[in-house]
Amino acid sequence: MKKFIFVVLSVFILSTLEVIAQCNSEAMSNQCIPKLATGFNFLKSYRVEKGAKEFVEYSYVFTKGTQYMINICAAGQATDGIVVSLYDSNRNKVASSKVNGQFISAIAYPCNTTGIYYIQYTFDGSTGYCGGSALGFKR
Amino acid sequence: MSMRIAIIGLILVVLSACGGEKKSDEQKFLENLDSAKTEGPTISQEVIGDILQQIPSPLEISMILKESGKKYNVTYLNSADNRAKYNTNYKKALNLGIYGTDLGYTNIYEQNQDGVKYMEAIKDMADGLNIGQFFDIETVGRLATNSKNLDSLLLITTQNFNSINHYLQTQNRANLSVLLLTGGWLEALHVTCEVAKSNPGNKELEETIGEQKIILENIMLLLSFYKESDQNMASLLNDMDGLKKVFDKVNITYTYKESTFEIVDGVMVIKDNSSSTIQITKEDIVSIKEVVDSIRGKIIS
Repeated sequence: MKKFIFVVLSVFILSTLEVIAQCNSEAMSNQCIPKLATGFNFLKSYRVEKGAKEFVEYSYVFTKGTQYMINICAAGQATDGIVVSLYDSNRNKVASSKVNGQFISAIAYPCNTTGIYYIQYTFDGSTGYCGGSALGFKR
Repeated sequence: MSMRIAIIGLILVVLSACGGEKKSDEQKFLENLDSAKTEGPTISQEVIGDILQQIPSPLEISMILKESGKKYNVTYLNSADNRAKYNTNYKKALNLGIYGTDLGYTNIYEQNQDGVKYMEAIKDMADGLNIGQFFDIETVGRLATNSKNLDSLLLITTQNFNSINHYLQTQNRANLSVLLLTGGWLEALHVTCEVAKSNPGNKELEETIGEQKIILENIMLLLSFYKESDQNMASLLNDMDGLKKVFDKVNITYTYKESTFEIVDGVMVIKDNSSSTIQITKEDIVSIKEVVDSIRGKIIS
């Protein structure tokens, strides 16, 4: 009986710990806002959390003549394998934050073409599959 | 004895977990009842949320207007005194968006006295829609008193509006979010048309007006989801269709070229080699302004 109670309690405690360790992508996206470079005005914060799909995607209409910045935040200083890629309205890839095996934490995009852009986050060797991101603009 | 306590503790834990689940089911049932009372949109909330998030912030247009070198002009805006006229949720949501754009315009031009009036109008509209808790008027008001706080002021205001939109969508009230963003966009277009009228030949302003064709398509799509369930939104969609007919004359062409990049101080800076051209005539701008003024006139009256 003692063993049974020990097992049940262990399962309960472990499941509780799992809940505590759950991804707080909202907090991470908020952490990203002050990390936008000087001169950029905040527009949106995005939660980056692996769900049923292999990627997380948002979209936004970018305007010609405006410069946009998208950054990535994860637990710790690095991006934890989170990669942001930008696609134009015809799904042509404009940029990816992984280059030559290096993960870049922010991309700046001076837009030449007004239209819908797709901001896609993927996980490449990520351990937490959890992060946040912020979008800002400047003229 | 300690074993008994442990067993009782376990039973309580299991019961409380079951109780939590039951409450959640009840909540879902009540939510279903509530949503059944008012006919919803013809498409999922997720799709609506995806389209809503694409709509650009009116703040971007206000920045372009200031850049054009034109002076601040409060007569372009909807008077904050008009707020007493808006008695329905439909009018409140649209004018909340309009006042939001007007506040952004006053903030960017650092016109704090006018800004305070718009903050009060926004608070009124938001309270009327039971979303006043998301507009932190005290903080915004304090920041507005010093022009050194402009960045913080713009940040807090944007965050407040983002929170309002997020909350409305989670509460199955995305229709109000659609109206809020429609009002905000229409006001930004109205002010741009006014500035372009007093600044003839400004190519950037003319192109900015022409580019709104892209946003209009999204707004019409959003409104179309509610045309069967909401007469006001159906009527607004009809008005927007009139605007679309004028925008149909605007021609936007794209030329795609692969982008290049360089890393500067740890940031990947993209060089966009694509380009677009916007063909819009002076007559198109006059026609767009006329239709926008007509739609806006109905909303703010």
